[in-house]
Amino acid sequence: MNDGEIYVRGWGAVTSLGWSAAEAARRLIAGEVAPAGACVSSHLVNRDFKAFEVAYNGNPLDKAMAMLWSALDEAFAMARLSADEIAESSLFVGTTGGLFIRNEYEFTESVRKNPGKDAPPISCRNRGPGEVADLIAGQYGIRGMAMTFSMACVSSSHALVVAADLLRRGKIRRAVIVGFEPLLNMTLHGFASLLLFDYDQCRPFCVRRAGMQIGEGAGVILLDRGKSFSSKYRICGGHQYNDIKSMTSAGIDGVTVSDVVQHSLNAARVSADDVVAIKAHGTGTRDNDLSEGRGLMKCFREKLPPVVSLKGAIGHTLGAAGAVETALWLSCCEEGVIPRSFGFSQTDPEIGFAPLQQNIAARNGAYLFTFFGFGGTCSSYLMIKE
Amino acid sequence: MPVISAGYIGPSLTPNRHALWEEEELPLNVDELVNEVMGQPMRRAGRFIKMVACGGLTCLQSVTLDYLRGKRTGIFLASGLGNVDEILPFITEVFKHGGGFPSPNQFANSVSNAAAFVLAKICNVTGTVLTVSQEELSFESALWLAQSYLECGDIDLALVGGCDIFTPTVEEYRERLNLCCRSTRPLPMGEGSSWLLLGRNEKRGLGHIFAVDFADGKVGSESLLENARTVFQDHCPSGGSLKKIFLPGFRIKADELNFWQQKGWAIDDYLPCCGIHSTAAAFGVARVFREIPGAFFIHRNAQVSGRQAAIFGATKQP
Repeated sequence: MNDGEIYVRGWGAVTSLGWSAAEAARRLIAGEVAPAGACVSSHLVNRDFKAFEVAYNGNPLDKAMAMLWSALDEAFAMARLSADEIAESSLFVGTTGGLFIRNEYEFTESVRKNPGKDAPPISCRNRGPGEVADLIAGQYGIRGMAMTFSMACVSSSHALVVAADLLRRGKIRRAVIVGFEPLLNMTLHGFASLLLFDYDQCRPFCVRRAGMQIGEGAGVILLDRGKSFSSKYRICGGHQYNDIKSMTSAGIDGVTVSDVVQHSLNAARVSADDVVAIKAHGTGTRDNDLSEGRGLMKCFREKLPPVVSLKGAIGHTLGAAGAVETALWLSCCEEGVIPRSFGFSQTDPEIGFAPLQQNIAARNGAYLFTFFGFGGTCSSYLMIKE
Repeated sequence: MPVISAGYIGPSLTPNRHALWEEEELPLNVDELVNEVMGQPMRRAGRFIKMVACGGLTCLQSVTLDYLRGKRTGIFLASGLGNVDEILPFITEVFKHGGGFPSPNQFANSVSNAAAFVLAKICNVTGTVLTVSQEELSFESALWLAQSYLECGDIDLALVGGCDIFTPTVEEYRERLNLCCRSTRPLPMGEGSSWLLLGRNEKRGLGHIFAVDFADGKVGSESLLENARTVFQDHCPSGGSLKKIFLPGFRIKADELNFWQQKGWAIDDYLPCCGIHSTAAAFGVARVFREIPGAFFIHRNAQVSGRQAAIFGATKQP
């Protein structure tokens, strides 16, 4: 350990499992995981879709903002940052939809309040993905760099890797990484139009898998240079890669995934034998899980550590997945447990392994995180529990 | 950072040239530009992707794609609004009474980093490819990020650009940019895709970007001028003959232009050439590298919240 190393100082998350990462971890560990349900938010127009919705008594726009503030408050409280420390931090937001929910909510409200009249054309009034960072910076007085990565499913995992790079180079003092993705008609219908949506259940790495199910979430990770207070999770081996072979798949031969993971291990100087467990991307789509499963097998061979996908429990939170899943995983580690993977029933012979099916102890050591997204994007990193 | 090449496309869709255009005629058909720059149509790509690809390749025309071969190149695409052009028709189909038929191709194209993927594929770039958005400071953020990757040696070259496209109506477009009469100079709305190719040690090229600075709203013009003097002395100790040029972003008010003029700086108001769009700074900076040799320049813009950014650079002596 030295001052040049990057530690997680705090985290927070809101998911369908609860309004804090700590609460969600306890539910996940206890197996209190409900399957995705029919959409109930007032702005969602198709009730055939099942999704992992965050419970809230109020309108969806207020809910989205409450999710964002709740995750940030949890992370700042855990890190015990002073107002000055928050002010000198830099902000890295990963989101694809941003505040597009405002357009969807205002449109559906306008239709609801004017029964019998022709629907007006939907307006797109949000200010782009960067609007979220501007709001957060204003709310908390953050005066360092602020930027947003709008890169589909790797948005916040890429943000985390870039932020760690900048910290290591001394370009920024501290990093607040935020993943934010409210549930949208746009993404539900979009993935359905691509035939990537499983109307029944999300089944990562299972031979019966038929697609993803979307979850909504907000996640926050605070990174700092050097060990301080009670921080015991060190990030290393961050790698972001762009595969130009296909816009929609990381290649079902697993070569790209294997290369990305190997690059992370090499950069972190961690042997494959020393990885305690893998928090896989594991979307439940045919191609992603085949690419990832084969890639992990290629890289780890017979020494494959336990593999977990969190998406069977909270859905795919898209651009927020990096921050949300990392926060939830760290809260599970704090409880001393690696949680089992939900939604699996039968091994896919083309993949050749089953994801973890019972909780195990979260011992000290290296945990690998992988994320793959639309547009050939891949990110991976390791969290070392000390 | 040496600027190896630069290219700009504004709403008239004439690469590296300014031609007359009218706000009420926007957006113009981009297919002729695609044929001119790409040499073939891009049938399944949306307008945003076409503009990103054409802007990137316009920048690379003077060096050719071969220049990137064997070098670790990063692509940093900045966009304030992303691909609204594809999102709007898609979501309109979703909300159609009785059920519409949203197009999977339109959804795929609407994802902001689809454009960066297409450009990376054309350029055969597999390393760092990032799509950055931060409202009207998107280009400055991407440039700052590229600078840090170049400085630490992670990459040899950085292709950094900004692209935002006009989407009707003008009123909604203005609202998306958070514009009101008090927050901007009176200018038409526009669009553009403008790019810089940056290196680390190259001798050839059009000049240098020295620094990209961010600050909150408390930093005034006097302070920025002081910073400019320091940067100028550090990087151009024998550059007394350089013209001093101030490039105002669209949030910069008329009274600030007077301040810089009184201090002996010429104003290069590039915005009538490209109109207001979130990444107009990319147009202004790329254009100054191509059109105004022998100049030390500052580009300044701000967000409504007060956060502001300044780009300091110098163009090569004629």
